[in-house]
Amino acid sequence: MKKLISNLVVFVLVLGLFVIPVSAGEDEAVQTYSVWAGSHYTGFGDYTRKVGEYNLGNDEFLPELKGYYRFRDATRLFSFKAHYYDHKNISVDAKGTLSDRFTAELFYRSLTHQQGQDLLANLETREAGGAKILTHELRDKGADYHSDRYEAGAKFNWLVSRDNNIRIMAAHRSVLRRGEEQKIGSNHCYSCHITSQSVNIDKRTHQFEAGVQADVEKFTLGYQFGYRIFDSRAFDPAVYYDSAMHPTLNDLSYKVEFPSRLNYDDTILAYGAYPETEKISHKIRMKGEVGKGQLASSLTFNQTTNKKVELTSDAWAGVLNYAVLLSPRTRLVAKASGTRKSNDDPFIDLRPWREGRPAPVTTPSYVTNFDFTRYSSLDRFEGKISAEVIHRLTPRITLDVLAGFQLIDRYDYPTLDESYQTKRFIGQAKMRYRKGLKYANTVKYRFEKTSDPFRSFRGLFEARGFDVLEPAVTIPTDPPSRFIFYYQREALRYQDITSLPTDYHEFEFSSTYKPNMRYSLTAGMKGKYDKNGDLDSLDVEHLTLQPNLSLTVTPAPRWSFMAGYTFTYNKSRGPVTVALFDG
Amino acid sequence: MKWKKHDRRSMVGVFREMFLAGISILCVSTVIAGQPPDGAALVGNETCLSCHEEMGEAFEKTVHGVVFSAEGTKGALTCESCHGPGSAHAEESDPELIFNPAGQNQFGGRDLCVACHNTANFDNWAFSTHHTGDVNCSDCHRIHTETEMAVKKAIPELCYDCHSDIRAAFFMPSHHPVKEGKVECLDCHGIHGGGGRLTQDNSGRELCFSCHPEKEGPFVYEHAPVMEDCNICHTPHGSVANNLLSQNEPVLCLNCHAMHFHATIDGVEGAFTVPHNPSRNGVSTADGWKKGMLTKCTQCHSEIHGSDMPSQAISTSGNALTR
Repeated sequence: MKKLISNLVVFVLVLGLFVIPVSAGEDEAVQTYSVWAGSHYTGFGDYTRKVGEYNLGNDEFLPELKGYYRFRDATRLFSFKAHYYDHKNISVDAKGTLSDRFTAELFYRSLTHQQGQDLLANLETREAGGAKILTHELRDKGADYHSDRYEAGAKFNWLVSRDNNIRIMAAHRSVLRRGEEQKIGSNHCYSCHITSQSVNIDKRTHQFEAGVQADVEKFTLGYQFGYRIFDSRAFDPAVYYDSAMHPTLNDLSYKVEFPSRLNYDDTILAYGAYPETEKISHKIRMKGEVGKGQLASSLTFNQTTNKKVELTSDAWAGVLNYAVLLSPRTRLVAKASGTRKSNDDPFIDLRPWREGRPAPVTTPSYVTNFDFTRYSSLDRFEGKISAEVIHRLTPRITLDVLAGFQLIDRYDYPTLDESYQTKRFIGQAKMRYRKGLKYANTVKYRFEKTSDPFRSFRGLFEARGFDVLEPAVTIPTDPPSRFIFYYQREALRYQDITSLPTDYHEFEFSSTYKPNMRYSLTAGMKGKYDKNGDLDSLDVEHLTLQPNLSLTVTPAPRWSFMAGYTFTYNKSRGPVTVALFDG
Repeated sequence: MKWKKHDRRSMVGVFREMFLAGISILCVSTVIAGQPPDGAALVGNETCLSCHEEMGEAFEKTVHGVVFSAEGTKGALTCESCHGPGSAHAEESDPELIFNPAGQNQFGGRDLCVACHNTANFDNWAFSTHHTGDVNCSDCHRIHTETEMAVKKAIPELCYDCHSDIRAAFFMPSHHPVKEGKVECLDCHGIHGGGGRLTQDNSGRELCFSCHPEKEGPFVYEHAPVMEDCNICHTPHGSVANNLLSQNEPVLCLNCHAMHFHATIDGVEGAFTVPHNPSRNGVSTADGWKKGMLTKCTQCHSEIHGSDMPSQAISTSGNALTR
């Protein structure tokens, strides 16, 4: 809260830099202002607050105010606008330009986000073994789950020297999110003992950026530093984690601890805790003219640290873009980028299975050591290259053809020994027809062909340390058990499943007609189709069709009327879920 | 061209004049590269304003007007800095005889506006989708009249002119609060080709984490798609499913994971036996499957974006993201 107040103080002080000279008065000064006062009503009736998640929904009329002020004299320009929607939705923005050298912007905005629903509402009391089982417990029933977000920031840009285009920029942003959230705690006896409680939210983010740039001969060079911290000041919730006992079965197992797969029992532990992260970035950039073309490049280093557990991830990213006129009517745009990400690989030392508890009876040979090294799925190289040729066939017709390739090489994808690569080929063709400002038509087709898209290897949470997939307990075969374990699916279920597309097609048509500067009519159609063709009869498909029509009428410079209609048709085919029901 | 005479004759002043001259020459050369009116010469602002008085008055109120009036640039930056030599146009009053920046395109050589707007935000303008798509600065910006950021319409309506499908998405039940005015397109999109906040390439997970840093980690227990791309599970503009998910739970999760626990009882109706554990014999009904499908995965796997705390069940080595 102190930081928020200090930010507001800085906000007001810097605002004063502009307001004081403005109030000094100038003969040539031009001032413009407007005030709007009104009211709005929002009510959710019988609906959950999630329906109008960004409104208070108090079922009453609330006053609403907008204000705008603008000052301009020979060398200064200052604008201020504010919007009071309700006491939780306020925005203020002030911008100033001093001469041609210094610009500053200060802003503040807040919003409220209603969760307004019980995340466990779909669970019911159900029967088992002749007794009622409470499937969930709401410790704070009726709590007002919501978060209020406050953001304040400032941006400064100073042209130090016109000679070498030396500029200094700085920016700051603070975000505070407060409210209540529903935190769900669940233990091994999931179906019976899910509990939820209302927990305070107090998440804080502070971000600072600073940069400098200068022209050196025919190049512009720049450096930018970024620093961001995040932490949560709210108390972590805690929940009781049971021992493995059946409390309702009227047989010998009643309230007798059995050898379950727990690695801690009969204890209260915190859960749902947020990390405390620090992110540092350095970026150098260069742009200029090389040969007959334009070049822009950058090299970025990011380091993110989770300070609670001392884990660090690094990322190096390089970008190189080049554009050149191959002829007076043909232009080439070539892009290349590469990112190398790496993450710490911590050794996870878990308590041995049933340490200090009764020994397992039914499965004495069960693996008891579950320690493992967590290799990160973040470790990877990502590369992209593309070339786009734009050719002006005639003064009115332009043809645009793009070809690209993307590679994602994952080094330490969980439980896989070898690296796992995704390759994507991209092709795109566009044709534009433009007759002055009167007609503009565009036709576009794009396809992407992906081999080995991202998928969940061993996504079934199979135990670490198992080289082969097998059930944790022996299943009798005589007579055969009808008890279906989730890890007994066929290979498809284990390693080859994903709904991400291997084939993607996109078609777009748009036509705009402007008979004059007052009217503009646009009609268009966009279609997308994707499918995963690696799953044979279980192919996943998605189809989207979006026709649209819009009309803009501008009878006077300060009046503009818009009307538009967009229809969206989505169709998905995901028969892979059938496999679940077939076992 | 008229030059302002400075009282100070220091070397700084000389360099300043040389630099300003360079800007003017650059601007004019750009004009010439774009649409050179043959034999035209510079005529100065007074000649322009004699016919375009209203436009001149409106221009003075703009941020460009302030910059053009500043001490260092007054007289050096004129109408013809952008429009090129105006003598032919002044004599004939023919709009075809003056350069109109609204008509410039990617084949016109160096971009006029970027010559002055030379900051990091414009680094990649020449390579951006907008530029290669023949979107001109003046398609979005109005230079001569006083508007916020000199845009023709307020954002997001300006963007919706071309991206109507995105407008439709923001009317989905779950959406980022753009139509409520709490977030705007520019918060995420570097529309001039520039990078976003602390992002490597203004895309993917880096961008999302600038506002949702609690989901970045690095965590002890990861969820692989969070490391891969937020868009695997979320659709950022708007969705029918809650929390901007591309599908509702559990269907979304079942795209990669098999149903478990609730699926451990046969899907057929009637009595069943579990030989190795007779205490679990019972009568199965289709209701068991309903329970499975009507349960949300995140009710147990609540820390789905990652966690530093081990889950209770050892079968996952603590990696079930339930804690």
